[in-house]
Amino acid sequence: MANDNKLGAPEGYTIKKSGPALRIISTILLIVWSIINLYPLFWMIMLSLKNNEQVNLTHKFGLPAGWPNKWHWENYTNPELHLERIVTYFKNSVIVTVLAIAIALVAAMMASYALMRFNWRASGAFNKMFMLGITVPVQVSLVPLLITTSELGITGSRISLIIPYAAFALSMAILISNGFMTNIPKELDEAAYIDGCSRYGVFFRIILPLMTPAISTIGIYSFLQCWNELIIATTLVTSEEMRTLPIGIRNLVGTNKVDYGLIGAGITIATIPMIIVYILMSRKIQESFIAGAVKG
Amino acid sequence: MKRKTSDTISIIVFLLPALILFFGILVAPIIISGYYSVFDWQFPFDKTFCGFQNYKKLFTTEWYPLWKGVKNVFLLAGLSLVIQLPLSLGLALMLGRGIKGERFFLSVNFLPVLISTVVIGLLWRRMYDADAGVINPLLRSVGIIGEENIQWLAANGDHLLMACIVPMLWQYVGYHMLLMYAGVKSVAPELREAAMIDGATTWQVDRFVVIPSMKQVLKVSVIFSVTGSLKSYDLVSILAGDRTYAAAVPSTVLMNTKSVGLYGMSSASAVVIIVLCFAAAVLINALFRERD
Amino acid sequence: MKKFLSTLLIVAMVLSLAACGKKNTGDDNSDANAPYVAPDMTKTVTLNFWSICVPTDSNRDAYDKAIADMKAKYPNITLNELATQNDEYKGKIKDAFQAGQVADIFFTWSCAFLGDFVQAGQVYCLDNAFKDPDVKDAIDVKMCNNTIYNGKKYGVPLTMNIVTLFANLDILKEVGYSDVPATYDELMTCCDKLVAAGKIPFGCAAGAGQEWCVTEYVESIIEKSCGAKTLDDIFQRRASWGNADVANAINKFQEMIKKGYFDPNGQSMDNEQVKTNFMAGKYAFYINGSWNCADFAKATGLNVKASEFPVIDGSKSKLGQLIGGPSDTLAVFGKSENKEIAAKYALELGRLICKYCYLSGAGLPAWKVDYPATDINALTQAVADIVAKSDYLVLFGDTAMNSADKDIYLKEIAKVYGAQVDGQKFIDDLKGAIK
Repeated sequence: MANDNKLGAPEGYTIKKSGPALRIISTILLIVWSIINLYPLFWMIMLSLKNNEQVNLTHKFGLPAGWPNKWHWENYTNPELHLERIVTYFKNSVIVTVLAIAIALVAAMMASYALMRFNWRASGAFNKMFMLGITVPVQVSLVPLLITTSELGITGSRISLIIPYAAFALSMAILISNGFMTNIPKELDEAAYIDGCSRYGVFFRIILPLMTPAISTIGIYSFLQCWNELIIATTLVTSEEMRTLPIGIRNLVGTNKVDYGLIGAGITIATIPMIIVYILMSRKIQESFIAGAVKG
Repeated sequence: MKRKTSDTISIIVFLLPALILFFGILVAPIIISGYYSVFDWQFPFDKTFCGFQNYKKLFTTEWYPLWKGVKNVFLLAGLSLVIQLPLSLGLALMLGRGIKGERFFLSVNFLPVLISTVVIGLLWRRMYDADAGVINPLLRSVGIIGEENIQWLAANGDHLLMACIVPMLWQYVGYHMLLMYAGVKSVAPELREAAMIDGATTWQVDRFVVIPSMKQVLKVSVIFSVTGSLKSYDLVSILAGDRTYAAAVPSTVLMNTKSVGLYGMSSASAVVIIVLCFAAAVLINALFRERD
Repeated sequence: MKKFLSTLLIVAMVLSLAACGKKNTGDDNSDANAPYVAPDMTKTVTLNFWSICVPTDSNRDAYDKAIADMKAKYPNITLNELATQNDEYKGKIKDAFQAGQVADIFFTWSCAFLGDFVQAGQVYCLDNAFKDPDVKDAIDVKMCNNTIYNGKKYGVPLTMNIVTLFANLDILKEVGYSDVPATYDELMTCCDKLVAAGKIPFGCAAGAGQEWCVTEYVESIIEKSCGAKTLDDIFQRRASWGNADVANAINKFQEMIKKGYFDPNGQSMDNEQVKTNFMAGKYAFYINGSWNCADFAKATGLNVKASEFPVIDGSKSKLGQLIGGPSDTLAVFGKSENKEIAAKYALELGRLICKYCYLSGAGLPAWKVDYPATDINALTQAVADIVAKSDYLVLFGDTAMNSADKDIYLKEIAKVYGAQVDGQKFIDDLKGAIK
């Protein structure tokens, strides 16, 4: 592929030559698809403002979401929601997720560098071995994890979640990282060696700066995996203070009592900050993708 | 010679964090599953060696329908490849071409990925509701079904599997779209421009310039999609339950046998999932390499 | 006065509760003569307690009150409660037992569920703790029957519940009934009239993993067809599933479905939807656990009566044969560092949870009622009357059976409701799978 390494400005991307008909059809398709994708969010917020009778029986416009005939804002102030706990859960989720992603990212990029940039016979075998990680169902790791964490004396701490989350994100992260790294021309490394850079220098000065799109992609992937993880968290966490958000949401479902409005309120409170953060960060994320164009 | 040793050291240093994570966390479950899978072991009784009896049972008994589950996830994986990924690719190409509201569409289409599966499951339960949902009226209005109300989520019904597959396909379109969008954006604008000057249409540019240069991203998407299908669990569990036969997937069989205390059978299901996923990942990798 | 009477009746009721385990010898305690050894309750310790009582649970208030009472009584003992959602808890506790890391006191279900852990030798025996003069006479030993294994007590019963036939009297009035039909034939006639009037007689959920809702119906019908003793024996593996009465009962149930007695949408609903529908007046009847009493009593404008399912075959069954019993239980982990203290603590805590649950209408008491209980809602009171008059309680099938049997049973029940198998196939399948 061309390696002209020109800094193509992101703005200069629009191709004006495509016909107006194509543009209109594309836009219509995108709008329809967007409505389908916005609907769950709308429905979730509606759910949080209804009581059980409205959720299960009243359906205006034929839509299950409907417009509540009475808004049940009290779902948000219901003491059973334990807002203060949700705040704790949220904090824990953020800490656990961010650290797990950071560990997975660093480990994956380093591994990827060793696998893709060094000529050694076993690299293919190691690559395949790491792929094994994608295959492990989380459910079978629970008992080994319980035993491992207790032997390491970290039972119930945040570390006991962070390490497994990082490990489960690792294989996919290596896979993504490998993909991006093959796209970075080896000539850049060679040039750096001639300039007197060591292996480590090349990694930090040449490879890492060019891997920003990989960071976003891996980050998003690992984020989804860690943020919604329920099974490991349920089994490994031993105290209320260390619990993460998915457990908090799950605990809104009582044994013989399900208050849908309350569940809706809990989930909405848990989701909205994430959507706001995503919207704020999406510009950065998208720019990092476009930055990928630099490498040609 | 000297460079060789320093290289070896570098390789070890760079691999070390990943190796620690891998051997510390991921290897134990694989080995333990493999070991337990050859034991007839029902909690709280002792385990006895039974060879491949567990596997045989899982592929023959109707009570723990692993065979059915394997067929179901193959269908799911197939549908992901022919519906989910092309749809994601189409969206990514459309957006990558530069369209008004590019950022807005990109963010909105990613939303379902951000919303927890619990909500998605609850929502689809309501949408499938036979007389109060939206799916039946929608299909009726376009003439696909008649007056009858289809029981989409009936426990052993004919429609349960499809009812589980559709939301699973939909939920991750946004994710793959974002992944592929990164790929589309990494194509140098000059390449596009050059092709356009040569008289290529938009479609031809996509087909012959953009898509070929997205190989790595597409490979990741395909592996993610296929292994994700083979391991799928959350939505099936919410919509059909772990005891389901009609919509069984290997993971529901794994969880079902595990909750029943049939640890030998449960481990055997895990081994089947591990083998399937590994084979799929290696195969996909090889296929993409061959087309170099 | 009547309320107080039936409360007394519960205390004095003479009923036979289904018992667990093959080697179960009931009251016979192997070391019955050993004197009670009191643990040192003044020691400063921390006890971990796992429950399923999440913040939104209907029993939460009762738990909070009980724990507050215990903390006041034993300020030196710190109780750390960790509540996990019911479905998740079942997986968590099994994994925890496998890894040998369980809380000192844990919630469990009686009979087979706890039995597995007892058999694995990981549960602390409570025989000594039950000899405590403070609690010795506070509970009828029959209430412990479901948690006695090899003659030893392992569980602290909390509340008990029975399967109840709830009827919406307002809807029955519309087809000319002022009371719940007393016999099976009358009930069927009533259903016919309801169907003719465009009403739905029953609602029953069977969506995602909610087969237990169907068992509430099926077990009632089977019991009233073949008798409590027979059903109990089948659940306890003392008798085979190959029983023609069971097949006939299944056929009767399916006939009811065919005649349109059941909301067809129930096939894909969850229990909460069905319950909401019943409370909104969509169904005339709803068969489910007695824990619903509190919710139905609280609902305004809902005229519900609780009764037991009528007898189908009078030669084999009779009124007073019910499905239910003490299922919710506390137990003590065998490897707990403070198991003696935990045992005494669990007993007292369980007794208090039972009291506050009963007072809030969330279940019937497994412990004797030695406190004023006059504010109990009328529905719970009615159920208490039914229990007081009963003479045989067969524990819920999904609690009584071991987990592998139960799993197959529930799968088969789903097929019954979905009309994929008939009565004969049902008993053949179960006979073949459960040996």
